[in-house]
Amino acid sequence: MSLSAEHVQEILGENAVVCCRTQAGSIIAADNLEDPAIFPDLEDSGLMTIPANILKIEQVLGAKVIKTIDSLTPLTPENIEGYKEISVAVELEIDETAKAVLKFDKKAGEILKAEDFENPMHFEKMEDSNLFELSNEVVTIGDALDKKLMTNVNALNPIKPEMLEGYQAPVKKVEKMNNSFKQSGGMMRIRIGEGKDIDIQIPVGIMGGEYVGEVVEEAPIAVPTAAPAQAVVQQEAKKVRSLVKRHHKITKVDFAEETKIEGNTLFIRKDVCDTAVEASDIVKSIKIEIITPDRYNEYSETIMDVQPIATKEEDFKVGTGATRVLDGVIVMVTGTDENGVQIGEFGSSEGILEENILWGRPGAPDKGDIFIKTEVVISAGMNMERPGPYAAHKASDVITQEIRNVMKELDESIFEETEELVQYRRPGKKKVVVVKEIMGQGAMHDNLILPVEPVGVLGGKPNVDLGNVPVMLNPLEVLDGGIHALTCIGPASKECSRHYYREPLVMEAMNDEDVDLCGVIFVGSPQVNSEKFYVSERLGMIVEALDVDGAIVTTEGFGNNHIDFASHIEQIGMRGIEVVGMSFCGVQGALVVGNKYMKHMVDNNKSEEGIENEVLSCNTLCKEDAVRALGMLKSALDGNDVKTPERKWNSNVKENNLEIIEKSNDVKIDRVLNEKSIPLSEKRKAKMGGNQ
Amino acid sequence: MADLQYGDKIIEMRGIVTEVHDGMVAMDLKGRLGTFRIPRRMLISDYEVKVGQEVGFRMSFVEVTSDEVDEKYINKIKAMNDKKERCE
Repeated sequence: MSLSAEHVQEILGENAVVCCRTQAGSIIAADNLEDPAIFPDLEDSGLMTIPANILKIEQVLGAKVIKTIDSLTPLTPENIEGYKEISVAVELEIDETAKAVLKFDKKAGEILKAEDFENPMHFEKMEDSNLFELSNEVVTIGDALDKKLMTNVNALNPIKPEMLEGYQAPVKKVEKMNNSFKQSGGMMRIRIGEGKDIDIQIPVGIMGGEYVGEVVEEAPIAVPTAAPAQAVVQQEAKKVRSLVKRHHKITKVDFAEETKIEGNTLFIRKDVCDTAVEASDIVKSIKIEIITPDRYNEYSETIMDVQPIATKEEDFKVGTGATRVLDGVIVMVTGTDENGVQIGEFGSSEGILEENILWGRPGAPDKGDIFIKTEVVISAGMNMERPGPYAAHKASDVITQEIRNVMKELDESIFEETEELVQYRRPGKKKVVVVKEIMGQGAMHDNLILPVEPVGVLGGKPNVDLGNVPVMLNPLEVLDGGIHALTCIGPASKECSRHYYREPLVMEAMNDEDVDLCGVIFVGSPQVNSEKFYVSERLGMIVEALDVDGAIVTTEGFGNNHIDFASHIEQIGMRGIEVVGMSFCGVQGALVVGNKYMKHMVDNNKSEEGIENEVLSCNTLCKEDAVRALGMLKSALDGNDVKTPERKWNSNVKENNLEIIEKSNDVKIDRVLNEKSIPLSEKRKAKMGGNQ
Repeated sequence: MADLQYGDKIIEMRGIVTEVHDGMVAMDLKGRLGTFRIPRRMLISDYEVKVGQEVGFRMSFVEVTSDEVDEKYINKIKAMNDKKERCE
């Protein structure tokens, strides 16, 4: 991939390597050069070796290639002429106020030269890797330069006063680095990289707009604490709409002559499957099982979806008025075709239930839930055709609808708990939109948008039929079952219908008093690249028209959906809007493409090894990820930089960010468990025991 | 992955799309090197996907990473085969 003229200006000091075969006589320009960001990977895979005499990009621009060279050849004096010399002085230009850390082993008596010091730009990473710690007593490069060492010092050791001969501590001064003062567009920002005893006095007269001033400490994604703001104009949050959810706890599910709810027992008509099977010609048979916690250790076909049982009161539409919900019970859709092939085969979650479910994830059952598990058999070979998974969902919904109809008739007094969800708009706060990319490649990669009943089928429009174009929902529509997911492949990363019903990011953003959540956009991910860019450009236009300050883009799973995911972020970012991306990546799902706007990324991985571990919902977006994404977005909106990611996936990054948020906000964030928390089968236990 | 000994030896593969379904695409690998069935989500295409189109990708050799067998999978395969027999 060649570089753009604009990008090359940002990386003049990097090594120069040609991206494509380059003929003798060619003059090197930006489009001849490879992006240095991928060099480490090329070196790791043995495709390239960087020689010691490699030239820098700023040296080779405009120089002439003297012999034809293959792609990925490093540019050196042997294959290029007319390159610019960089004087040694320039090369060794260092920040003398930075801390002094030795680059090479040095013996007592040696004089320290500029080239002996480690480049300060690497300090952050090195400190993260615990290579050394820069305490206050470490002297600066300026102070250590040309001094004689009194002891032997190994490489990567910070220089302390006692190591230097004749060292005198400099007069104490306020350490100031990277400090800047900026006032623009009614907002004043003071940025302090590191500071001490700072006293800022600002005449109130120079202020305009809502912000009076803030002191921001640099941190990876720290949520900054605003400095005392005197005349901040506080605008009242505006209540837009509310939704009441009435909950009734179910403790027992049984079969009976008719579907009914008596007290805490739900009875299902025992011949309900005879009706459900008529939902579609493709459905050959259907049976239901009631899985109580003592049957969690039984075998099940692949789990296609997990759905709440909820219904609207009166004629309310999804997202408005009142919803009745049964707690402690869920519908689980499973199925195969007539040949016994799982619907949604490819990494399916068939097997012993409790070994394949990460309990308590937003999209998964909670431990203790009773499952009404349907097992739908569809026509042979239909498991990979679009009508197949849809028919399985439709047939299962016939059973759920019968329960919903009974719930509608119940006396309101039976619902022991009432919950009110309120959507506020917060004028004056940073306006934010959540963009959820949903699968739209066909078959099970489809979602029904806004059915009549929460997570129902009737009335829902498949996003594939809508052309996968962006559709705006309000947060309450999302949290009221406005999305019926036919669910993706990849059990660990797919977002089941219950996930949207309990979507943590929508909940967190809606309830966050620091941001003004304007809506949730659902955009499908089509198969063909041109369609991906079509929907992505429409998304960009919508987000532009919304005039938001920030956006969070999420996707489920990995694969070609990462192409449009990256494009969505680009379309939003290029409009000057801060954007945070969320996806499962880990080790296995690394992004296939990237662009310069993808700098704020949150990985939803929870699995120990960073892989799709086939445990239902393990790697889906949880509250802890939502909190990180919002923290990162708010931090970006405040103008803070986010650290460059490490080259390889590392679960510690997430933990560090969570700790920073906990410290800044003085809150405790519960970490969710991963696959280590679920039981191994007896056979596997025995096998592991035998190995030890 | 750390347990692969030859993971860095990348070979280029070519194939022909043999089946296109709403959820899955199958391909024969040229040189009688096998078949591949992948979800559509894992296929990148600038064109509408059709039977007969050529596909390409790079892969390393497939290595067995351990002598152990995973009982969970064996049970799954058994359960599926039993079911197929019943269906037949």
